This record gives sequence, structure tokens and C-alpha cells, in this order.
Amino acid sequence: MNSTAVRPRPLRWAIVLGMTILGVSAVVPLLFMVQAAFRTQLDWAVAKIGLPTTLTLDAFGRAWVQASIGTYFINSVIVTIGAVALSVALASTAGFAFATLRWRGSRLVYFFILSWMAIPPLLLMVPIYVEMVDLRLVDTYLSVILLYSALNLPFNMYLMTAFFRAVPAELAEAARVDGASVHRIFGSILLPLSVPAIATLVIFNALYVWNEFVFALLLLHDDRVRTLTVGVNQLQGKFFFDYPALLAGMLITSLPMVVVYLVFQKFLVRAIAAGALK
Amino acid sequence: MTGAGGAPAGTRRRGHNPLGSEAKWGLMYALPALVVVVVFVVYPFASIVVHAFTRWNGFSDPTFIGLRNFEFLLRDNTFWAAFRNNVFFALSVPFQVAVPLLLAFLIQQRIPGWRFYRWTYFLPAIYSTIVLGVLTRLILQVDGPFNELLNGAGLGGLAREWLGDSSTALPAILIVFIWANFGYNVVIFLAGMSGIDPQLPEAARIDGANQRQVLRHVYIPGLRRVMEIVLVTSTINAFAYMFTYVFTITNGGPGFSTYVVEFDIYNTAFTAQRLGYACAMGLGLTLVILVLGFFQIRALTGGRE
Repeated sequence: MNSTAVRPRPLRWAIVLGMTILGVSAVVPLLFMVQAAFRTQLDWAVAKIGLPTTLTLDAFGRAWVQASIGTYFINSVIVTIGAVALSVALASTAGFAFATLRWRGSRLVYFFILSWMAIPPLLLMVPIYVEMVDLRLVDTYLSVILLYSALNLPFNMYLMTAFFRAVPAELAEAARVDGASVHRIFGSILLPLSVPAIATLVIFNALYVWNEFVFALLLLHDDRVRTLTVGVNQLQGKFFFDYPALLAGMLITSLPMVVVYLVFQKFLVRAIAAGALK
Repeated sequence: MTGAGGAPAGTRRRGHNPLGSEAKWGLMYALPALVVVVVFVVYPFASIVVHAFTRWNGFSDPTFIGLRNFEFLLRDNTFWAAFRNNVFFALSVPFQVAVPLLLAFLIQQRIPGWRFYRWTYFLPAIYSTIVLGVLTRLILQVDGPFNELLNGAGLGGLAREWLGDSSTALPAILIVFIWANFGYNVVIFLAGMSGIDPQLPEAARIDGANQRQVLRHVYIPGLRRVMEIVLVTSTINAFAYMFTYVFTITNGGPGFSTYVVEFDIYNTAFTAQRLGYACAMGLGLTLVILVLGFFQIRALTGGRE
């Protein structure tokens, strides 16, 4: 007997219920942060979950100004833009070199870079810290910008190479016959075509850089350069009793990427799929 | 974007008389990426390999001490306690492969509410790990919302200091870890499923296969590569991406009971200033991960063809 036809309905609804609870649990952190951030400290002491009895934006103000979340936010924006732009730019030129240009050693260099894709970066924290001290880069945006770019580069390069290779070779060939220079082939023909691939990488890399914590903790000690994730960690100590402000700070940390996910979901999923189906 | 298995086109048409400028510019275009990877990934890795055999405090020059770090490592109780916790987290990996696979299958079958699941399940991967960790600690505090909920529901007897005892703190970290990663794996499986020819499950159903048989005989064989990737990445996560959870939720405590190896490396290097020893630990863990990854891939692909 075909069990699809007689699948017991209670089981089916139990599965739907379980999956719904799981889905709701994914939204709970956001809801929890929102309801807490609108409370006064007194209100929080009385009750920690549910509709707040007071509705005040004070916690956001305390987080943004007194806890320097405003500064951290700007730092996170600078680091994210810097690291993503650098990594994607280098991945594009390298991808072009491997996929389109003909030169000796192309294969070797390609596989050499690719082979570092799976290394867990945290295991490298000791020498990376020492190297950054030696280069006098600790407490600069540049330290994390360079590091994040490097850590993402093997994957980015892989994706750009795959993309450029999928472009019909006739395009570059025709340009060559017309006497176009290497830079022209890259800048006027291939780069404009690769906007979707670049968008995919930008979203995917931004999510990593914005949320990265350990290297930011290791390399950014000065309040003027700290990013949001380290800032939230700081906030815990600074605002030990001011939970509404702490949660407002965490909400400010989380919202930009939630919005990016809402708007660019397609690109994110594409990047993950490309990474998984290689 | 997925058909990238082969080698680059570099040497494909050797007889074509490659333009002299291409031979020169090829390396120039690849060089910046190569330099950045070498300086910030390859060099640190080489540094770990070299310094694992030294005594080094980060200020004075390292001294070569042969295998002594590794001899010490074998007898280091803190390290092995931390490693045991990593193994504990890694034991959840089969679950982390099977459940997302099932969830992805149900979403693929358009179970009621599938759009909602597909949208929400990825959210945990969007939140920063530090936000999830701080939230967990805050929610599980003695006077935190979770105990408040229990009291409100008349279950006050169950309320306790969840993070004050390793028998509840470790499972708490595990649950957050699993929850934070499951949606990512669902998305990977969904992507893999969309790559399977829809005529295959259709044909199986016409032949009278039920849902379970379709999953088992059509989807699972078709997703072998994807399962391999999820299995290996989930294992690597359990060994090398636990730091932030532990740092924020328990800070390793109570005592050393929720240490993981990364946390031990961090403290050994930056609190105890024993950098050479920390490098030895890093090298050891890298080897463990490589070996595990190798055997997992063997286990999944071996004996199939």
C-alpha cells in the first residue's frame, strides 16, 4: 500500500508545527532585543519579556552616545567597505588572469591560492597577531581590512575565475583580434559582464566581515577603531546593569545585516550554493 | 557558476602564439591576490609550523626545543579536557547533517508554510555569533528571562543557574551552536536539490515510490557531494569555530569545564604568553581536522563506485 496516500495526518501536522516553532525561534532574538530596547531600566527590572509598559528610545540614545555604539558603527562600516572592496577587486583581477589570460604558471598559482580556502583562520591567531604587531598595524583599520580580505580571497578568487571562464571565449578573442589591450579586455568587456558575480561576493563577504569578532578583539584595542562586535563585548562590561542599552546596541549591530538579507537574499543564497556545489 | 571543475585556460592554446603582453600581464593581474594570501595566510601557517617546535614568549627570540611542546601536549590535562568538549560538540554532526537534509526535503516538497521556513531558517546565520552568545548568557542568567518564564509557568522548581554548572552549560552551548548553523545547511541542501533533474523524483513517484523512498533513493544519492561538504564543514565548525560561543556564553567556566581547544590556544598565547606552545596546539588541531576531513570524505565516497 502506498504510504503517501495514507500518511497519517496528525504526523503531518506535528511536522508543520515543529517546523513553524523552529522558524519562529529564528525571529525570537530580534523580537527579544526590540522589546527590551524600548524598556526603561526600571521596567526591565520588573519584567524582561512581553510588551514593555514603557516605550522609550532612551536606551538607543545611551547606547549610541555613552557606549560609543555610534563610533563603533562607523568603524564597522569603514572596515566592511574596505575589506570587501579590496578582496573583491583582487579576486576580479586574479580571476581574469586565471580564466582569460594565457601565461605560464597560471594553473600552479591558481591551485596554490585555492588550496588555502579551507584553513580555519582562528588556528592562525597567534602568528597573525605577532605579524600585525611587527607590521605596526595593531589598532588600525588596515589590520583587519587586509586580514579579512586575505581570508576571503581564495573563495572569492575561485568564484570569479569560474565566472570569467563561463564567459564565451569568443568575446575576448574578438577583442584580441581587434588589437585591444589586456586592460581593455578586462575593464571594458569582462568587468561589466561580471556585475552579478561581484554583487554575490559583496553581500557574502560583507556578512562575514560585519559579524567577525575574534580577530577584531585581537587587533582592535583602541576605542576609536573598534568595530561593533568588539563594542558589544565591551558594552557588557560597561553597562552591566543597563540591559536595555546593551540590547539596543546589539539590535543596532544586528539590523544592518538583517536588512541586507531581506533585500539581497537571492545573492546570498547564490554565493552559498556556489560554494557548496563546487 | 557551478561548472568550474577543470583547470584554468592558461595553457590551453599554446600554438596560438600568445600575445607577449598577455604572458607578462597574466602574472601581474594575479600577483596582488597572491601577495595578500601569502602574507596573511600562508606566512602565518608557516610560522605556526616553525614555532610549534620552539619556546617563545613573543618578546625575546624563540628557542628551538624539538618535540618538547608535543610531549607536554600529550600530558596537558586542560588541553585534553578542552579537546573532549570539541569532540562532544562534534558528536552532534550526524544530527546536523540529517535534520537539515530532512527539513530541506520537506521545504522542497512544498510542505504548508514552506516559504516562511525558507525565509526564517537562514536568519540565525545572519546574526553575529557574539550577539547570539551574549543573548544566551543574558537569557540564562539566574535572574534572567528564562528562569522568569519558568517561574511564571509554575515550573519555578526547574529554575537554576544554567551556566554555573557544566552539565547544563555545555548542552546550552551545543544547542546554540546547532541552532545557529542548521539554516545554513538547509540552504546548501536546497541548492543541491534544485540541481537534481526534477524528472527523477517524478519518475520514481509514477513507479509508486513513497516520499521516504524518493528521499532515500533519488535525493540522497544525488546529494552525496553536498552531504560530504556539510559533513566536513560541520565537523570543522565543531573543532575550530567554537571560540566565540564559549567566550561569550561561559568564558570557559565554571573552572575549565567548558574550554574548547581554540579557547585554550587563546589563553595560552595571550594570557600565559606561551606562544610556542600555543602554536603546537594550533598545529595539532589542524592535523586532527585534516585527518577527520579526509576520512569523512573516504567514508562517504569509498565503497560506492
